[in-house]
Amino acid sequence: MKHSTKFNLVGLLFGAGFGFVLAAAKLHEYATIHAMLSLEEIDVFLLMGLAIGVSLPLLAILERAKVKTALAGTLSLSRSKVQKHHVVGGAIFGIGWAVSGTCPAPALVMLASGAGLAAVTIAGLFIGLGLRDIQTSSSSSGGPTQGDGEHRVTVGAGN
Amino acid sequence: MELLPDRLHWSLAGPLLGLLVVGFFLFTNQPLGATGAYVETSKVVRRVSGAVVWRVWYFVGIALGGFIAVSLKKTGFDTRTGYEMLTTTGEGNFGLSVPVAALVIFIGAVVMGYGARMSGGCTSGHGICGTAQRSPASWAAMITFMAAAVATTFVINQLA
Repeated sequence: MKHSTKFNLVGLLFGAGFGFVLAAAKLHEYATIHAMLSLEEIDVFLLMGLAIGVSLPLLAILERAKVKTALAGTLSLSRSKVQKHHVVGGAIFGIGWAVSGTCPAPALVMLASGAGLAAVTIAGLFIGLGLRDIQTSSSSSGGPTQGDGEHRVTVGAGN
Repeated sequence: MELLPDRLHWSLAGPLLGLLVVGFFLFTNQPLGATGAYVETSKVVRRVSGAVVWRVWYFVGIALGGFIAVSLKKTGFDTRTGYEMLTTTGEGNFGLSVPVAALVIFIGAVVMGYGARMSGGCTSGHGICGTAQRSPASWAAMITFMAAAVATTFVINQLA
């Protein structure tokens, strides 16, 4: 199998796993996110806390062990310093998240579950991302940056 | 078919998400933030060069996995607006017409997309994958967007 095909397959399977868990836990429902952000129930905070609580120590151990990944060399983690755009962008993101009652991944699950207005959310997301790209490409800041949880250029990672 | 409960408990869903994050790293040496999947999908749709195509497969996979999970629930695939709290009247609901609700949601989503691109990630990217890597930037982003979202929801609830 070609290297790029393996990446596509892993992407599809892990995407499906991620979408499956989001839907199973009902994170694609407006009511779930609204109840979370209204602080009416703490289930989703606990869910996220446990997700981090499981992955953080495991990644730390694997990083220390210099484990080799299946497709892209030795495991390497990213730890950027805090910059203004992380915080300002985060605040803007949070406002939009509260209004639309969903975030990028659950919006896809929402549409796939039959919720028609999620198409509006997804279209808005693409436009919002694009507006920021237009803004950064016309300024001298050198284009948008990806955070530590997004795609990064690594050796052999199908860039 | 009814193989899944209506809502999988957080104590099971949380660790499953965590293991997916770790598993993804073990295969690809990459985090699995969703904002980046939108960015790469947008590049492919606009035929911009240099797109990371496997992120588009990941994007499609999220929807596919979601569809499979809801199909295994009692409710199944359910055609609806998905924003019934906005579009119907009743205790705690907003009673907006569908076009007005669509406009509100659209504006919210544009703001969310802009903020995610500026911040460099979203709930999955900064909120889980970045924090799990012990990234100071991701922890700062997550704390900020959580606080902003809770504050905004408080204001929204005053309007209901």
